[in-house]
Amino acid sequence: MNDRIHRHLDGDRAVELDAAERSEASAWDRMLDAFRSSAPGGGNAPPWLEQRVMAEIEALPADGPLRRALAWLVRPAPIRVSPLAAGLVAASIALLVALPYRGEAPDPGGSAGPSASSGTPSEETVVYVQFVLEAPEAVSVSVAGDFSDWEPSFALVDPDGDGVWTGRVPVRPGVHAYMFLVDEAQWRTDPNAERYRDDGFGNRNALLAVASGV
Amino acid sequence: MAPTSEPVNHAERTDTQVVRDVLAGDRDAYRLLVRRYADTLHAHALRMTGSPDEAADLVQRALVQGYRKLARCREPERVGAWLFRIAANLCKDHVRSQKPDVPLTVVDGALRSSADPASDAEGAEVRARVWQALDALTPEQKEAFVLKHVEGRSYEEIAAVMDVSVASLKMRVHRAREALRGLLEEYA
Repeated sequence: MNDRIHRHLDGDRAVELDAAERSEASAWDRMLDAFRSSAPGGGNAPPWLEQRVMAEIEALPADGPLRRALAWLVRPAPIRVSPLAAGLVAASIALLVALPYRGEAPDPGGSAGPSASSGTPSEETVVYVQFVLEAPEAVSVSVAGDFSDWEPSFALVDPDGDGVWTGRVPVRPGVHAYMFLVDEAQWRTDPNAERYRDDGFGNRNALLAVASGV
Repeated sequence: MAPTSEPVNHAERTDTQVVRDVLAGDRDAYRLLVRRYADTLHAHALRMTGSPDEAADLVQRALVQGYRKLARCREPERVGAWLFRIAANLCKDHVRSQKPDVPLTVVDGALRSSADPASDAEGAEVRARVWQALDALTPEQKEAFVLKHVEGRSYEEIAAVMDVSVASLKMRVHRAREALRGLLEEYA
């Protein structure tokens, strides 16, 4: 199956097919029609579903004014930050967070955390970056990136069960690509990253810029 | 007794207004979102699971979860897409969790035949094989294929709803087609 047939099936009618390709594309069209015509159900939800949903919602504890105010306070809202401002903020974080660890060398094998010491003094700085992913359906979430050799070794936590997973990860200054791994199987791009980069395999990595702060 | 739904006299409210009202404490306003989006969510869940009971259960969970997390919906004007994403993720997790245990033929027998006219036994068998093959895809490939070729959505629309890139979606659909290629001789 060549790329032109894929493009035809993707809806690109400008692609020109030869006779053999037209025959294969036609067979594909018939098969896809069969998928559509045999798709289960007409799509309508059962009439009792609304009642069940509303009954379950009615049974939930009521939200008081304090709880609603708290929900408003923690409600995520997009904040636009210019790259320069983001760099300055990152630099500030680096100064505040990384100072206690200055002078501690990273493990040459790359497996040690920032508090590990190999006994070799170093000027290398690490910045603790707070990763956040909203994934209410997830059972586990971890983050992986070039700072972890793409191993999902940093687990995020959701202690209050509100579906917002967070975790602080030590990252060295520089520009890093990363993704989240949900339920140990589903790679998910950070929807709130400032920048993205194709990974060459059809996925989109989020980019993180960490300033050295010195 | 047939289930009844009380009329909700606020059908003209936009999604944004409904979300605002629910967050202000008007629980019953959420009923409007249920009415607007339950069918779409259910259609997708049914195509992903192949079981009306499981689809209804997943949609119920998604809608209740959506109510509980509504304050975290960043774009109230797109609350329908946000609810769809919750439901779609629940469906994918369900498909993933079912794969090792449920024989594909069991899922097929109960459901897919109900969509087929009894007089078209041979066609029903072919279509059952088609859906059986679909069940063998990864949950991500199956989701992308169903959204593209069964629900007839554009890549751009799917990407916006599922929060993945168009390139990634195309790759999943292309791989799904390659995996389904063995069926093609039935239609050649």
